[in-house]
Amino acid sequence: MALNKFRTKSPWILHYNAGSCNGCDIEILACLAPKYDIERFGMINTGNPKQSDIMLVTGPVTKRSRERLVDIYSQMPEPKVVIACGSCGCSGGVFRGMYNCEGGIDQYIPVDVYVPGCGCRPEQIIAGVVEALAILEKKTKDMEGSVKLHNDPIEQDGQTNRREVAAVI
Amino acid sequence: MIALIESLFLIPIAVSALLLLLPKTAARFLTILATLVLSAIAIYLFTQATDRPIQFAVSPVVNKIVMIADFSLLLFVIGAGLKQKNILVWVLAILQLLVLGYLTTKMSETQSTQFYVDKLSIFMFILVNVISGVIAVYSLKYIDEEKCSWFRKKYFISMIFWFMAAMNLLAAADNLEYFYLFFELTTLASYLFIRFRKDDESKKNALTALWMNQIGGLAILAAIVYTVLTAQYGNPSFSDLIAKGNSVAIILPFAFLCIAGLVKGAQYPFNKWLIGAMVAPTPVSALLHSSTMVKIAPFIILRISPVIKGTPVATVMIGLTAFVFVAAAIGALAQDTFKKILAHSTIALLALMILMAAVGTPVAVTAALILMLFHGLSKCLLFLNAGVLEHVFHMKQTSDMSKLGEAGPFTALVVAVGFMSLLLPPFGAFVGKWFSIETIGTVASGFKIVAPLVLVCIATGGAVLSLLYFKVLGAMISRTGESDKVKFEHIHPIYESTLIFLLCALLICTLALPWLLPYYFTQVAADTTGLALIPVIQQGTNIYIGSVHLPLIPMLIAFILLPFGIIAGLFVRFKHVDRAKEYMCGEKVEYNFSSFYFSTDKATPYFVAIGILFFVSIVLVAFFM
Amino acid sequence: MNNSIIQILLIVLAPVLGGLIYGVERKVKARMQRRIGPPVLQPFYDFLKLMDKRKMMVHSTHAFLGILHFISLWFALAVLIMGGDFILIIFLHLLATALIILAGFSTRSIFSHLGANRSAISILAYEPVLVIIAISAYMLTGSFDVSALYASDVPVLFKMPLAFIALLMILPIKLKKSPFDISEAHQEVVGGVELEYSGIFYEAVYTAKWLDYIFCYLLVFMFAGNNWWLGLLLVALTFIYINALDNSTARVNYKQMLRFSFWVALPMAFLNLLMTMFHLI
Repeated sequence: MALNKFRTKSPWILHYNAGSCNGCDIEILACLAPKYDIERFGMINTGNPKQSDIMLVTGPVTKRSRERLVDIYSQMPEPKVVIACGSCGCSGGVFRGMYNCEGGIDQYIPVDVYVPGCGCRPEQIIAGVVEALAILEKKTKDMEGSVKLHNDPIEQDGQTNRREVAAVI
Repeated sequence: MIALIESLFLIPIAVSALLLLLPKTAARFLTILATLVLSAIAIYLFTQATDRPIQFAVSPVVNKIVMIADFSLLLFVIGAGLKQKNILVWVLAILQLLVLGYLTTKMSETQSTQFYVDKLSIFMFILVNVISGVIAVYSLKYIDEEKCSWFRKKYFISMIFWFMAAMNLLAAADNLEYFYLFFELTTLASYLFIRFRKDDESKKNALTALWMNQIGGLAILAAIVYTVLTAQYGNPSFSDLIAKGNSVAIILPFAFLCIAGLVKGAQYPFNKWLIGAMVAPTPVSALLHSSTMVKIAPFIILRISPVIKGTPVATVMIGLTAFVFVAAAIGALAQDTFKKILAHSTIALLALMILMAAVGTPVAVTAALILMLFHGLSKCLLFLNAGVLEHVFHMKQTSDMSKLGEAGPFTALVVAVGFMSLLLPPFGAFVGKWFSIETIGTVASGFKIVAPLVLVCIATGGAVLSLLYFKVLGAMISRTGESDKVKFEHIHPIYESTLIFLLCALLICTLALPWLLPYYFTQVAADTTGLALIPVIQQGTNIYIGSVHLPLIPMLIAFILLPFGIIAGLFVRFKHVDRAKEYMCGEKVEYNFSSFYFSTDKATPYFVAIGILFFVSIVLVAFFM
Repeated sequence: MNNSIIQILLIVLAPVLGGLIYGVERKVKARMQRRIGPPVLQPFYDFLKLMDKRKMMVHSTHAFLGILHFISLWFALAVLIMGGDFILIIFLHLLATALIILAGFSTRSIFSHLGANRSAISILAYEPVLVIIAISAYMLTGSFDVSALYASDVPVLFKMPLAFIALLMILPIKLKKSPFDISEAHQEVVGGVELEYSGIFYEAVYTAKWLDYIFCYLLVFMFAGNNWWLGLLLVALTFIYINALDNSTARVNYKQMLRFSFWVALPMAFLNLLMTMFHLI
């Protein structure tokens, strides 16, 4: 499909903090600021899952945030990619094994790109996003679900009801 | 013709009496039949209307009956005032009694005509008979659900017809003394209807309405006395006053008539009675307090507009109504009760109608007439909906209505169309407002500094009203995406049929506006103002009416977009689309949201004070001119 | 004849032109912040990308009202370009806004509701001023038609400068630019009414925003009369002014916005009305 290449030209970002220490978040925002200016690639931080293509998640996924993470992920229309930012997001980092955290984002939603670093650098984030764009271009529009905490969508009147796709524990 | 017009007076009275006697089923049948007959007569008169007004006299016996009715009515009011220890009511009534007694000694017996039916009267006939008829049918079901005795239910329906007779008589009255009686009859109807539920609040508000409207009655009497004392005027009748008004150049009686109209139209500072009247059963609010009775206000001003046009009285009145248009709209923002919001917006729009009537150029009068018709239809629709909300869904406050979108999509849709019809193109109320703005723009040079102020008031008031309608609508039309299909509620067929009838009437009148405008409204306006017919030229797809023009294609497209767009919105289904949940930052908790409120309590005393100032200045200006 | 071809072209190409303006705007804003900024064609890339997303909505009525909003806005713009009645145009624009506000209210989404409420308040802030400007224009040209303004030999700007200043004051409200961007405030209400739209349905609302640019800049263009070069200059200056304002100011709350509109912009328009009425200029 010819339209695929436009996905790479206007990736809109949703930024979600799943219990991060705000170190990575500051770096993500630094990307948007004049110095790194990722808007030159057509990126916007929308803050709205329904209009975004790339989900940047930071933090080790605390137990309070996992349902929200899955819920927001399920509200993003396909095609979509997820980038785990920072060591915590990739693997749990220093919080791995703690009682209140899960080890990384990929425990709950499928992650496409891992950006490591405790306080991942803006250059790394940009490199990660560029990597993600290559994946985004190849993706199909089939529905993607989370790894855990999900219900099956229901078919109704020729529509897919995905309102309750994210399950509650 | 005369027989038909008289039948408009007599049939409602007869029906009103019969309804009290007949059993339930027969009474229902009679109500529907009478509605049909009366509407048919009104519409027949509309088609048969000629350029020459019909003037006719009735036998002198009627004069005596009117006199007796006047006195007994006033005695009743005094009795009510004394019984309920309301000093204002009985003092005002005794004052009227004294003036009336004085008048009977002064009045000469040579009176030629008592009734005068021109196109404006027939316009009022249509408004009164069709809308009141619909409301009478609606009340059959509504009043069944009230908690009161069987007799009082019959009495309620019977009173509606009695009120219709009074309104028909009032629209046709020429003699001011007759006019006074019918004016007082509508006041009485208002009083009896407001205290129908007989709780403390109803009684209190009914008395407020009574004493405030008594001031209107007193003003009419003052006008009569002044006319009788000033020999130049001849008989105290509208036709004589209008014929001689311009040459005599004493406008004090007209100023008094204006005050009567403004009081009936609940302009500041007399707005309280209309707001209080909302405790009455909803058909009453629809009938008396928005669609028909308060239209007496623009009606009186329209009647005397040929004389008061361009006088300082008219200028003061324009100032007052422009101010009320904004003040009432702002007052509505603080309200939560659905009916009170409607009442405030009624006051605001009445102010606009009176303003246009006071400007008095043919286009302005046309705008006033358009506003009267469409405001009548839209407000009736909204009030009947308020009744449905109250009785079927048990919702009175707009803050309770957040579940209406799911429980009653049809009702929510009708409310949405009703509100939009007061605001947006292509509906008549918008056309009225549009013509108002443009007319004042065109005649601005005649009003000096007043015109720009009035224009600012209209522009601001209109914007405040639009904010108000959005605010109210926002509280009631939301629904979740749980199910994409809209499940329409089942309400009683009487409710449903009246609502659908009014909705269709509104849409049809809107579509028919390009024909009504040249062939009806401008002719009524010409008849009312006594000036030459405004030339209506159709050029391509534009209709030129005097200085303003109505482009048809934009209006037609707007018609497809707005009423049909919203209605179609309920039936459209998109297939092969996922339905996702509303974004709530991922939270699983149910959030409740409500509308925002503006506190306007601090401003209200100032509004009332400014209103009083305007009222005093109307009299002063007329007196010293 | 020549004129009407331009008009029709302008109507048909309005979304494209609006998209270009939006693209240039993003570039200009970026340059003001010493960034490189996205390519000028960025809005169209966004447009094509949104077309390719999986379709998603809250319910059909909501999605449908969004599309209706786009159509009615385009229609209001067409009437403006064809030189229709000014008051009618203002209210047709209100109709378009009404549809998007109804759409915002039609879902059970808190941010959507907040956005719709704030949009309704914005109407209160800009509509009276526009109506007063329209009446001033009537006093000047003797016709309520916008075409009389387009055809005016002397630029309207010199006849009613205060009206132009008042227009400049309310344009940020209408265009939802800082400091008056409360109705769409991304950081507070996540875009307001447009929040619940996604994919192809968002496209309607997104493109409607481009049409709004054309609408507003045409209002500015109108002030130049039949002098097109002056018109383009005015548009360019206004464009820079709005972007500079957007970049340099922080958001005010709705009370401050209303206060500004009623105590500064409206009196300005009123003064202008007085001046045109009594021929003081």
